[in-house]
Amino acid sequence: MLDWATAGPAVGAAFLASIVEVVEAFTIVLVVATLRGWKPAVMGTGAALLVLTAIVVILGPLLNQVPLHLLQLVIGVLLLLFGIGWLRKASLRAGGIIPLHDEDAIFAKETAGLSAEVARQKSSQDWIAGIAAFKAVLLEGLEVIFIVIAVGAGRGLLWPASLGALAACLLVLVIGAIAHRPLARVPENTLKFGVGVMLSAFGVFWTGEGLGVDWPGHDLALFVFAALFLVAGLAAAQMVRKPQTEIPA
Amino acid sequence: MSILKDVLAELFSMFVADARLTLAILAVVAIAALMINATGLPALLGGAFLLVACIAVLILSVKREAQRRQKP
Repeated sequence: MLDWATAGPAVGAAFLASIVEVVEAFTIVLVVATLRGWKPAVMGTGAALLVLTAIVVILGPLLNQVPLHLLQLVIGVLLLLFGIGWLRKASLRAGGIIPLHDEDAIFAKETAGLSAEVARQKSSQDWIAGIAAFKAVLLEGLEVIFIVIAVGAGRGLLWPASLGALAACLLVLVIGAIAHRPLARVPENTLKFGVGVMLSAFGVFWTGEGLGVDWPGHDLALFVFAALFLVAGLAAAQMVRKPQTEIPA
Repeated sequence: MSILKDVLAELFSMFVADARLTLAILAVVAIAALMINATGLPALLGGAFLLVACIAVLILSVKREAQRRQKP
């Protein structure tokens, strides 16, 4: 029986983080499909998914060979680097220091870039478009795999975390298929903020466990860590927020 | 080769988005490890240091980056 106090944060983190990554990959695949049709987009995406599956199949069993404390420590440190990095960027965006992620702008930029590349190499236009889709899905997919392993491996929750990521992929695909345009209305910075909070909390938790800390409340400590990182991220955003210029009446 | 290079660059940038932030986090983990394993202090104290120091690193890093970007 799945203990949701333990599995909930892992599934939630995998789901939310995967939405962010899949939306980014979807934008590029849509650029390819719009410019060159669905064939190179689907071929590139399919090839990338095959490579990602091979990586999981080959590397997945190796995780069982690593001693648990070492696995928790390594994954914990990587999560701290990744999670605090995301949270820092999300705080800077929330504070108005760096611009918000705009999928429409990215779509326009990628379209211009790919059009120029295709125009330069007339002989193999579909090939170039397919490679663009392949790279986007592979790169974003690697991040999804890392997040699933990071939040799931330390407690034997790889399957629930994988299902969370799969649900995110299906959700984005269904909404994308219906909307047929970049998913610009996804509150990406809010999601990144939330995911950064959760990954940072997991990072402290696993790193501590890997070093031999027995956290009071065990898995429930994750919620306390998440609350503290949330408050810290919001406070940091508030601290750096530029004062709004008043518009004269 | 370009794809492999891009993949490696992406993996690197996942964990080393900002060199100072990365070094600060690694230093915090190293100090926590020393507190827990090389001193007679309770392990939970090292854990508390890890948590508080990571939060401090986050806030200082956001503040420093904001100051850097707001410089005329």
